[in-house]
Amino acid sequence: MSDILKVENLNYSHRLKKILQDVNLTLESGKIVGLLGENGAGKTTLMRLITGVAHATGDITVAGASRIDERKSHVSYMDHLGAFSLGTHLDRIVKFYQTVYEDFDVDRFNELADFLNIDLSLKLSALSKGNKQKFVIALTLSRQVELYLLDEPFDGIDSMSRKDIINSIIKWKPENATIVISDHYVSEISSLLDEIVVIKDETINCNLDADKIREDKGMDIEDFYESLYERGHDND
Amino acid sequence: MKFDDKIPIYLQIQNYLDRQIISGELAPGDRLPSVRQLAVDVTANVNTVQRALSEMIDEKIIVPQRGRGNFVTVDVDLIAQLRLKLVDEQFALVYDQLRALNFSDSEIIDKFVEYVKDRGALNE
Repeated sequence: MSDILKVENLNYSHRLKKILQDVNLTLESGKIVGLLGENGAGKTTLMRLITGVAHATGDITVAGASRIDERKSHVSYMDHLGAFSLGTHLDRIVKFYQTVYEDFDVDRFNELADFLNIDLSLKLSALSKGNKQKFVIALTLSRQVELYLLDEPFDGIDSMSRKDIINSIIKWKPENATIVISDHYVSEISSLLDEIVVIKDETINCNLDADKIREDKGMDIEDFYESLYERGHDND
Repeated sequence: MKFDDKIPIYLQIQNYLDRQIISGELAPGDRLPSVRQLAVDVTANVNTVQRALSEMIDEKIIVPQRGRGNFVTVDVDLIAQLRLKLVDEQFALVYDQLRALNFSDSEIIDKFVEYVKDRGALNE
């Protein structure tokens, strides 16, 4: 397997506050990776930096491309559609994606939309939280790229929508592509993950194989994740 | 499929498929669903399913055929061995628990014979 993402010596500050320090991370192709950390730990920031919508010092390489403009064609980052007015019809947004992204696969989108039961004649404002997340996931996964970044796709949605989204990820993930999913409730996706990356104290705390954690420590992923914080308190 | 998150997922998938083979739901010579379909069926990722299958291929319970997919072995002796292994695993659990409660071997045997008789009578 080849490396799909390489982050080297990444440092990022915002208004003099250090958000990420000395981040080094390498991910292989073909994986599903859980990006874990408390709210505000820097998960979204790291995704935005990888995508190239925010800038930092250090090197980021996606599928061999390190320049921001080149990188963008290899990464599909889950957009929360904040730029669209609530009155926009979903099919207009799909058209927009087709226009902006050369790699947008309409057939794949239609399959996903069908599987997730998305009514494209609706306005954005008519969507429940779960249906909006489904729509966003369908858009994100319909680009043909090597790296997909899903930012808290299960935040605030019901368990049926969650199952549908998980199944669509399993069904439609291209074999060699890697999907990074950020979440602060790991238990709802842990069976899906090849490995976890934990962001803590402004940097990568660990990057481990999920089944290896279960095998070596006899712990579930959530307990392991929580144990990283308990250890932190002992040192205080 | 509901997983116990403390136990490696690939082992649980392997166990699930072993049971299907022992119960005959997957018969000798049957073709398994594709890796992707199995992943959807059990809600796990493709790599984890592939790892479970690799273990089973090592044990020769599953035989891969190039370009055609994975097949359950037609070697019924191997399936018989798998069946016995599963009995051992189940007995090991019960035995360890009862020994931990200071039951003697002969008590365990006597009680077990009695238990099977009672259950058997109920099932008739």
